[in-house]
Amino acid sequence: MAGRGRGRGRGQLTFNMEAVGIGKGDALPPPTLQPSPLFPPLEFRPVPLPSGEEGEYVLALKQELRGAMRQLPYFIRPAVPKRDVERYSDKYQMSGPIDSAIDWNPDWRRLPRELRIRVRKLQKERTTILLPKRPPKATEDKEETIQKLETLEKKEEEVTSEEDEEKEEEEKEEEEEEEYDEEEHEEETDYIMSYFDNGEDFGVDSDDNMDEAIY
Amino acid sequence: MTQAEIKLCSLLLQEHFGEIVEKIGVHLIRTGSQPLRVIVHDTKTSLDQVKKALCVLIQHNLVTYQVHKRGTVEYEAQCSRVLRMLRYPRYIYTAKTLYSDTGELIVEELLLNGKMTMSALVKRVADRLTETMEDGKTMDYAEVSSTFARLADTHFVQRCPLVSPAENAEPGPPQPAPTLVICEKDMYLVPKLSLIGKGKRRRSSEEDAPGEPKAKRLKHSTDNKEPIPDDGIYWQANLDRFHQHFRDQAIVSAVANRMDQTSSEIVRTMLRMSEITTPSNAPFTQPLSSNEIFRSLPTGYNISKQVLDQYLTLLADDPLQFVGKSGDSGGGTYVINLHKVLGSLATATLESVVQERFGSRCARIFRLVLQKKHLEQKQVEDFAMIPAKEAKDMLYKMLSENFILLQEIPKTPDHAPSRTFYLYTVNILSAARMLLHRCYKSIANLIERRQFETKENKRLLEKSQRVEAIIASMQATGAEEAQLQEIEEMITAPERQQIETLKRNVNKLDASEIQVDETIFLLESYIESNMKRQ
Repeated sequence: MAGRGRGRGRGQLTFNMEAVGIGKGDALPPPTLQPSPLFPPLEFRPVPLPSGEEGEYVLALKQELRGAMRQLPYFIRPAVPKRDVERYSDKYQMSGPIDSAIDWNPDWRRLPRELRIRVRKLQKERTTILLPKRPPKATEDKEETIQKLETLEKKEEEVTSEEDEEKEEEEKEEEEEEEYDEEEHEEETDYIMSYFDNGEDFGVDSDDNMDEAIY
Repeated sequence: MTQAEIKLCSLLLQEHFGEIVEKIGVHLIRTGSQPLRVIVHDTKTSLDQVKKALCVLIQHNLVTYQVHKRGTVEYEAQCSRVLRMLRYPRYIYTAKTLYSDTGELIVEELLLNGKMTMSALVKRVADRLTETMEDGKTMDYAEVSSTFARLADTHFVQRCPLVSPAENAEPGPPQPAPTLVICEKDMYLVPKLSLIGKGKRRRSSEEDAPGEPKAKRLKHSTDNKEPIPDDGIYWQANLDRFHQHFRDQAIVSAVANRMDQTSSEIVRTMLRMSEITTPSNAPFTQPLSSNEIFRSLPTGYNISKQVLDQYLTLLADDPLQFVGKSGDSGGGTYVINLHKVLGSLATATLESVVQERFGSRCARIFRLVLQKKHLEQKQVEDFAMIPAKEAKDMLYKMLSENFILLQEIPKTPDHAPSRTFYLYTVNILSAARMLLHRCYKSIANLIERRQFETKENKRLLEKSQRVEAIIASMQATGAEEAQLQEIEEMITAPERQQIETLKRNVNKLDASEIQVDETIFLLESYIESNMKRQ
């Protein structure tokens, strides 16, 4: 019985049209045969955005924040896939981390143990001073410093790039100290040989590097 | 989480943290709580990348973890917290208005880094402030510490949950993850540190005598070796307190718009007095007597007690019922009805949206239906004094966009259509939810469009940046005007115009995002207050 009225009278609706306000014989709007347009024309223009000191400041803050967050170590760039041949521009493109280290040091006590990863050691700042790094040990003697300076100076003239220089200096310093200790122990005298300075070297060294103090 | 929210979260995470973090974050938001191995398997990223992403997300309080039985740790993302990232500039600006530049930088560093210890924070802020000061002046740590203490006292920053230390006593296997304990009473307690020092300027080495950098490096190396006195006590920005502040601001400006400046000052005083005493989600503030309000008015206002009483009576009698009278002791006790205020603000937002989208006659119909609660088609035409055809058209337009609902009231049990009343009504809560969903979609669209515009003109932007860098370096080394002119001409006039247009568009899109976020805040506060009530 329920299905009898189905085919008859296609215009019949389940509710009374007049109650909702569509009178008999009123022209209904045409049926929609396609999805609504992507950018329909606006009937009413939008209200202008608030301008003024506060608005501009917050806007500037927003853009600054966006830029700043890209530079922080929390921004993880995806690793660039390795190409077949190494290209020159690769050196200048900001590619992602290739190894599995992170650049910042979280407090591991607060994180689950399974998340622990290696932290990339911060590279020491490269400065442009040609000064050799003097380790802050007050117990060192002046003579030892002079000896180191002399050897370092000689090394400096050999090496051209400053960065390698610093690295080498650090290495050499450590080597120097080790060598120096060995020297002391080998001789087994009460007198440390380098204390004796016969003045031959004074004035022979090049005075080009005026940055260093001359004792 | 709705699709619109997930899309917006994905865009925000990608912009601020990169694609890997975005992938993991969106996966967690979509699927809920998951252990590490399942995440690795489902997102098809390597274990290391997932670990990195999770560390970043946990650091920024976007993901929390929980230890379940059998030792598995499950990670869960907080979608609403990710959406807060839109509001960061507003938080920072608020801190600036309340606590000037020092406060601004403290909140900015906290938001950028998620959580920090007080000593690290003070040091970094002092360094940043020193950079901006003139040569020779430095920022003292004590000043930064005192601003930080004030922020903690007014609850704008709070301690993160602490690692519970009791586990070390047991000899059993080590815990897979630390349990974090929230200590309520210590939440805003500033540790007693004696931070002595001044901000360091990041000078270039050419300016200094060679003696200085060594001394600085000395200090730096010794700092790392000393144990940090407040180790393990991390601080984060208390976003709820900022939201409370925004809500108070909205209330005060609403009262100022409706009545006058003096009444808004009275309401501001009442809100200030109940800042710490009332929890943020209470339906109304603690009752305040008229005498107390009179005593706490700012010293600039010389209104007499009678005038104050008159204002309070006026506020209490207002049909919007922002202020209610709760008793007569102490010269009359008054409360601010926070939930009612949020409701009125949400309603005003809805009305404004209808007006701007459909026109003022639609807005008239909308307000009419709001006021009368339920109306038939015929009654709408009569009350609004709008011809039938137009009224029909407008009602259906609003119905199709779900601002207005149709309520059926059957006369007979068989719901026959000819014997049923059809009434138009407005349900504010559902309309607010619908509008909120639209807001999320609009912000997602705005961000996408901005990214599209930037990508289209990427080549041009890079070129202009390079030219600027060249000009800056040449100016530093003292080049002539002619050379600078030549470099500037590398960018042709139409290109320059294109860049100008791009900048203007990007600024407009950014400002729109900020504006939509304000609407989101109002609607979310209203919906939240409604949920709490139930």
